Amino acid sequence: MRQPKVEETDRLLTEIAKSGDQLPAAERRQFLKSGLSMLGGAAALAGAAKYAPPNVPPWTKSLGAPVIADPYGQPSPFEKDVVRRNVPWLTADRIASISFTPLADIKGIITPSGLVFERYHAGRPEIDPDEHHLMIHGMVDRPIILSMDELMRFPSTSMIRFLECPANGGMEWRGAQMTKLQFTHGMLSCCEWTGVLLSTILAEVGVQKGANWILAEGADGSLMSRSIPMEKALDDALVVFAQNGEALRREQGYPIRLINPGWEGNTCIKWLRRLEIGDSPYYQREETSKYTDLMPDGKAREFTFVQEANSVVTTPSPENPLKGKGKYWLEGLAWSGRGKVKAVDVSFDGGISWRPARLTGMIEPRALTRFGLEWDWDGSPALIQSRCIDETGYVQPTYTQLRAVRGSSSIYHKNAIHTWRLHADGSVTNVQVS
Amino acid sequence: MFRFPKLYKFKRLSLIVLLVAAFATTVVNAKVKGVGHYGYGKVATAEEIAGWDIDIRPDGRGLPPGSGSVEDGEILYEDQCASCHGSFGEGVGKYPVLAGGEGTLTEERPEKTVGSFWAHTSTLFDYIRRAMPFPQPASLSDEETYAITAYVLYLNDLVEDDFVLSQDTWDEVAKLPNNSNFVPDPRPDTQAVRCMKDCKKEVKIVSEPTITAEEVAAADDTIVKAAAGNENEKGASVYNGACAVCHNSGVAGAPKLDDKATWKARLALGEATLIKHAIEGFQGDAGMMPPKGGRMDLSDEDVAAAVKFMLAEAE
Repeated sequence: MRQPKVEETDRLLTEIAKSGDQLPAAERRQFLKSGLSMLGGAAALAGAAKYAPPNVPPWTKSLGAPVIADPYGQPSPFEKDVVRRNVPWLTADRIASISFTPLADIKGIITPSGLVFERYHAGRPEIDPDEHHLMIHGMVDRPIILSMDELMRFPSTSMIRFLECPANGGMEWRGAQMTKLQFTHGMLSCCEWTGVLLSTILAEVGVQKGANWILAEGADGSLMSRSIPMEKALDDALVVFAQNGEALRREQGYPIRLINPGWEGNTCIKWLRRLEIGDSPYYQREETSKYTDLMPDGKAREFTFVQEANSVVTTPSPENPLKGKGKYWLEGLAWSGRGKVKAVDVSFDGGISWRPARLTGMIEPRALTRFGLEWDWDGSPALIQSRCIDETGYVQPTYTQLRAVRGSSSIYHKNAIHTWRLHADGSVTNVQVS
Repeated sequence: MFRFPKLYKFKRLSLIVLLVAAFATTVVNAKVKGVGHYGYGKVATAEEIAGWDIDIRPDGRGLPPGSGSVEDGEILYEDQCASCHGSFGEGVGKYPVLAGGEGTLTEERPEKTVGSFWAHTSTLFDYIRRAMPFPQPASLSDEETYAITAYVLYLNDLVEDDFVLSQDTWDEVAKLPNNSNFVPDPRPDTQAVRCMKDCKKEVKIVSEPTITAEEVAAADDTIVKAAAGNENEKGASVYNGACAVCHNSGVAGAPKLDDKATWKARLALGEATLIKHAIEGFQGDAGMMPPKGGRMDLSDEDVAAAVKFMLAEAE
């Protein structure tokens, strides 16, 4: 028997699916309406029970969309509000700016590639990988220019590591300011990164004696550049070409970027085009006038690379309010640029007493780590905090402890214990406590 | 200079584990053969390197031949920089302040400028050369970069008005006034302990956001919403993604989208001419429109759609 052409099959299936969609038009409208109100919260859920058992919903009584209806799959339209957002007043424009990952809505420890926060200094370039090159030169025996194909021939490896802008939470130094978790902590993401260890490339070009620093430079309109110490380059720095199993996203530096695990996101140069090996730091703009930490005595710390241990409760949070008293799975994210998260504690009374939480899922060094805790909410107001302890024994500090050392003008590396104020109605707001 | 974080409070066991891990890494790396083992890529020639090696180091290494005067810098600065940074380096809107702020680093609101905070003049030259002016990065000649650098130093009272910056005069200005106030990273610098009970006597809320969610939403003024009747969605999208950076604020002499008076004369030129100017670039009285606003990734159709959107908004 002759098989119908693939396209023909597709067309027929689509039509059937469509007619199935169209038949119960009234039901479909109701479905869309209830679906949308479901997004509004669980209160609406009770009213949306039209298709709860024993009723059968229309999508069960019709055919669905065919394969490759979306050749590159997209999230359900019901997830349309799970997106990156920016804070307009933060920067002069959206070209040299930042967007935030919706931490309240993501699960596990991997940030979907399309939700990884963006940071541009001169906008996102559109780069043809066939026209992109990586030049490695300076104090090396064999300066080379690599095409992307050539770079990908080196032995490669993968690692799950967080990426965090050192300014994450920086708006909170002088007091609680942002109204949502997305904006208090969302300059933070975690991906599986695949690429070539920088140490492999350095061995190939032959680093000369006296070489201590590497200038990494991007191909974007700001030619973004940072100096990286040789110790890090030889430790775990990775020249990355893939993220979560697919080519690096344009927002993340397509076709290649640097990842310095556990260090300031700013050092992880995107659209990487050049590595110059030298004897001393290059004192670029983003390691002098910016990304230095001003202390109360007027001195500024430079090359403050490590992102210290930090954590935040993601449920409850302003975006995830509670819906009446009862049992809840409180959860959140913890991370440390110095290694693995060893423990996380949770307080409900603003830090007077603490309960150890459970670490759930994978615990990778320098990666986001999930924690959770079963909690019976009696409906009374609470001040909810989390506290991360990493494998070096470092304990996440309070605002009081952090400000005692650093004042409140240092912009970067704010890793203080965060407080959510849970109100009796279940809503959650951002506060700072004594 | 740079110091690695102390391996403090490490248990003996974890240290051993770490050493073993480090040894394992070394073994893996040792498997990588010597220089040129893979032989990938092409050996870079001096000429190829020179084309991309644009960084300038504090001691002046990397400086190109040439020179630039404060006098020439003033004209260039007014033309290329003042629309964002202000005629006196005071900054326009949220764009960086370049001058002033001396003695404010210990104050509640420190003003971090070239004169008050930056450490090296090389950073200034390097950054202007690689990334400025903002809408047209890497467009200045070496002479122009010298001149603008000299002028920014002048704005900070660091040189006289007859100063000429070159490799020969570099040492006089290489170190900026705040040079000695940068220190290595001493972290970990907090000594929090893992207390579980009675960790403090009482807790008070000391700070809450003063802006409401509604105010946050209202502040979202960077996205231009099309006026009623302007259904050019593609144009709106291109405008917001590419043109808004200058035409929202009037940066670089760009006519602001909502400045209807300024647009009147332009409208008289006709749509076709304005689209041509936008695609090919145009030198106007108030400022320069770079080809495609510097966004060479945009197609001609994209630019035309944006121009049509803007004209409909301006009418």
